[in-house]
Amino acid sequence: MLQLTDVTKTYPTPQGALHVLDGVDLHLGAGESLALMGESGSGKSTLLHLAAGLDLPDRGDIHLDGERLSTLGEPRRAALRRQQLGLVFQQFHLVPSLSVADNLSLQARLAEREDNHWTQHLLARLGLAGLNDRYPEQLSGGQQQRLAIGRALAAKPRLLLADEPTGNLDETAADEVLDLLASLVDESGCALLMVTHSARVAAPMDRCLRLQHGRLAEPGE
Amino acid sequence: MTPARMAVLRTSLATLLSHYRRHPGQLAMLIVGLWVASALWSGVQAINASARDSYARAEALFSSDLDSITRRDGRPLSLDDYLTLRRAGLRVSPLVEGEWTSAAGDTLTLIGIDPLTLPDDAPLGRTESSAGSLRDWLLPPHRVRVAPDTAAQLNDATRLPPLEIDPALPPGTLVTDIGVAQRLLGFEGQLTRLVIAAERSAELPAGFVRTSAAVIASPGQLTESFHLNLTAMGLLALVVGLFIVHAALGLALEQRLGLLRTLRALGVPARTLIAALALELLVIGLVGAALGIASGVLLAQALLPDVAASLAELYDSNVGTTLALPWHYWLGGLVITLGGLFSAGASMLWRAARLNVLALGQAQAWRGRLRRQLGIQGWLGGVLLLVAALLWWRLSGRAGQQELALSFAMVAALLLGTALWLPPLLAGALRLAARRLRNRPLAQWAVADLQLQLPRLQLPMMALLLALATNLGVGSMVGGFRLTFLDWLDQRLLADLYVRPPAEQFDAVRDWLIERPEVATLLPARSSDATLIGSDSRNAGGTDTATPVKLFGIAPEPILRRHWPLLDTHAGREAAWRALAGGEAFINEQLARRHSLAPGDTLRLRTAQGTRRLSIAAIYPDYGNPSGEITLPVTRLASEFSAPPGSLGVVLAKDRASRDALMARLREGLAARFGLAGPTLIDQRSLKRSATEVFERTFAITQALNALTLGVAGLALLTTLLAQAETRRAQLAPLWALGVTRARLVGVQLAQLLAAATGTALLAVPLGLALSYALVAVINVAAFGWRLPLHVFPGQIAVTLMLALMVAALAALLPAWRLWRVPPRQLLQEFAAS
Ligand SMILES: Nc1ncnc2c1ncn2[C@@H]1O[C@H](COP(=O)(O)OP(=O)(O)O)[C@@H](O)[C@H]1O
Ligand SMILES: [Mg+2]
Repeated sequence: MLQLTDVTKTYPTPQGALHVLDGVDLHLGAGESLALMGESGSGKSTLLHLAAGLDLPDRGDIHLDGERLSTLGEPRRAALRRQQLGLVFQQFHLVPSLSVADNLSLQARLAEREDNHWTQHLLARLGLAGLNDRYPEQLSGGQQQRLAIGRALAAKPRLLLADEPTGNLDETAADEVLDLLASLVDESGCALLMVTHSARVAAPMDRCLRLQHGRLAEPGE
Repeated sequence: MTPARMAVLRTSLATLLSHYRRHPGQLAMLIVGLWVASALWSGVQAINASARDSYARAEALFSSDLDSITRRDGRPLSLDDYLTLRRAGLRVSPLVEGEWTSAAGDTLTLIGIDPLTLPDDAPLGRTESSAGSLRDWLLPPHRVRVAPDTAAQLNDATRLPPLEIDPALPPGTLVTDIGVAQRLLGFEGQLTRLVIAAERSAELPAGFVRTSAAVIASPGQLTESFHLNLTAMGLLALVVGLFIVHAALGLALEQRLGLLRTLRALGVPARTLIAALALELLVIGLVGAALGIASGVLLAQALLPDVAASLAELYDSNVGTTLALPWHYWLGGLVITLGGLFSAGASMLWRAARLNVLALGQAQAWRGRLRRQLGIQGWLGGVLLLVAALLWWRLSGRAGQQELALSFAMVAALLLGTALWLPPLLAGALRLAARRLRNRPLAQWAVADLQLQLPRLQLPMMALLLALATNLGVGSMVGGFRLTFLDWLDQRLLADLYVRPPAEQFDAVRDWLIERPEVATLLPARSSDATLIGSDSRNAGGTDTATPVKLFGIAPEPILRRHWPLLDTHAGREAAWRALAGGEAFINEQLARRHSLAPGDTLRLRTAQGTRRLSIAAIYPDYGNPSGEITLPVTRLASEFSAPPGSLGVVLAKDRASRDALMARLREGLAARFGLAGPTLIDQRSLKRSATEVFERTFAITQALNALTLGVAGLALLTTLLAQAETRRAQLAPLWALGVTRARLVGVQLAQLLAAATGTALLAVPLGLALSYALVAVINVAAFGWRLPLHVFPGQIAVTLMLALMVAALAALLPAWRLWRVPPRQLLQEFAAS
């Protein structure tokens, strides 16, 4: 599903080049789930952005669904993202001018893969049924993040990339959202790559890796 | 485009547009901006297009290479004259022309022709080519040719021959057989003039004068500058309107940056996003253009009768009072509106194209960007002002069509350059103020916050600056012109009564008037035509091309010598009058500027009596006169140039009785003795009144457009404030939470806006004065050949400052009221969210 080979990423800074990723190798199979841990500033988000084709690595290859990202043009990468990926961010990035229902179905509509049954099911499972006509600012933080997760899953992606999806929520709300996320991912059978700080959240996942000094390692090493 | 791409485009467009559902104010601002810009622009263009259509028709009819022949003694031509000339071998054709009043009370020009003798290619004689229609034309009940727009207002079937529609005729003109015209006009046995093909040069028998087609031709250049003036006003309105559009688009983009990034992250390609934004612009543009062009046509419909009336009075141009809009008018309106929209939206598209997807939700480094932008504006403004200064230096005091276009470019550079300087200047003033307000925290916050608002406020403030400056500039110009013009009228119209006796009575009336006790001084005047064929000028210039000029004869009586205005003399006023008596001439300012002539230079003239050399003794102002003029003593004009009798100006002996009593006695006498009444006697007062009326009407449109522009600037400010009200509340909520009352917050808001408006007005005053100077000393000279003195009216400056404050206060009222009414609960939410 997702394959990173010897991926390197450097950011130019006034203090000189910052080597964020320095030869990262990663393989994620279909339906597999992976927790990505690491200190703040270790490059987790960078890795996720590269995996999503939002940015390109300086060196190394990234294959998504068998396609080599660096050889694809921007429109092709966008199409891949639209069709195959679901993205969930720490800040929810909902569209303030769209209603809950329209926000939820946005990516599905972009991908022309709208499935009413699935959408209704998601709304019910996410506890958003009956809030269809509300706007994002009329939802609580937990509800907003659940909506963002719903948006990512509505188009039935094959891989869900989640970057600290509960970083903005308090602990109870976070647990609730993560349990939902896990069970919905199970239901839909998509692969999951999630950045998290919580060992408790990482525990039930198939694998767990730690990003340190620009490289991936088993946790505890 | 594949169906998949279409779906992405459709969904992206719908998502982008959903923004306006939640912020209808921004959409309204966009549409209103476009609407206003396009309405004023297309209104002005509709007027221009209709007037051009009328000119083109008139020109086709008259400037058609027909010279005209009249009697030297000024009497009407008779059939005998026609026969004399025909017998002399001249292929002249008779023509009758007069004013005819329709049943509806409209005054129309009625022209009678003789199609058989008219030169073949003359458009005047163009009847339907079939022989049958020529027969219809020549035999009763005859035919009358008329333009469709004029036909619509004619319903005198009983008095006129059957109508024949001819779209090529100018409005308000009827053409028919000469016999019919003579009967309708009551000119039996008379001819107005005889026409002859211009290329036929022939010796005229004594007693006849030939006027060349060039002199008769329509006053194209003058009307052209009138329209250029209108176009400039329309362009100003367009620019001010586009400022609103630019501000609205900037706002809509800024608030949707997050949305754009999210869409990109969800898999919308950059190109599709740009296409969606461009499509959004196109949709909005089409709506705005449709509204704008429709209202523009309505506006033009409302203004056209006034424009037509002032063009008729100013330049003798007959302009139809119904709109005639060619297809390219509609297309032009659409192209200008869409072009304006896309030029205003270009920066939005550019920013959207360079969007950094990874900066998702990251706050903008606005401070650095603003400083850079202000720097660029400062530079650009400086360059434009430099260009303006260079053009000014090159242009000063030159007349001509190309100079006129350059003068407008100069004014545009001046206005735009200063407008670009406004934001950097305001920012600088705010930085200074912030430093001085350390120990007044709320005031310091207000200043810092105003700096933060500057990126959004700068465009409406620039629009306000332009509107204020043009109001002041045009207001000063018109006010100064009014003073100068009225003064000049007083100096030129010395006589209380002007008598125009028929030529055969002229001498008798003059002799009778001289004897009357009511008359203090008699001022006879005559005029004639000549051709200026060259000059010996001490300036490098001088002319070789032949130009028609008017010769004007005055009586240099003491009262006239005292009052007659002179701009420039060779050796003082007294010497100039002595020189005039001694055979030199005065010329008007128009002629002097067009040919770079000065006192001391000499002119070479061709007249019916041969060529003459004249020395220039002085130059006099001659406002509103389209043509160059040479003034000589009236006796000389009569004897040397055989000018036909003109008018007799009567200065009443007002020490003897009241003006009204003297006037009444004189009128009685003239009526009893010579049967003179009505239009042959013109009271100075009515002459002044009608001159002033023409003046006011000419500038009514300019001032109306000006006021509208100020309204548009106010609208720009209001819409900006409304559109950013929500963001503002989020910025104000923390202050409220810190214990500043809502009333205080409203006060601070108002104070901020008034401060910005004051700064703008302070810059508008010098800009307005510079503009006024440019109008009177550069544009007016380029367009009309005469210069006006600059008048500064402190009252108008005060009004400008007041207007700025009023516009700002009015625009701030609604947002302030809404802030005042916002419930604390909502402020609390806003605070929690921020
Ligand atoms: N566009 C950028 N330019 C320069 N430095 C960046 C940029 N984006 C991220 N960084 C730096 O790269 C490092 C890794 O960032 P990030 O991937 O966001 O870490 P994490 O998500 O693990 O907290 C940080 O030190 C961050 O400051
Ligand atoms: Mg991160």
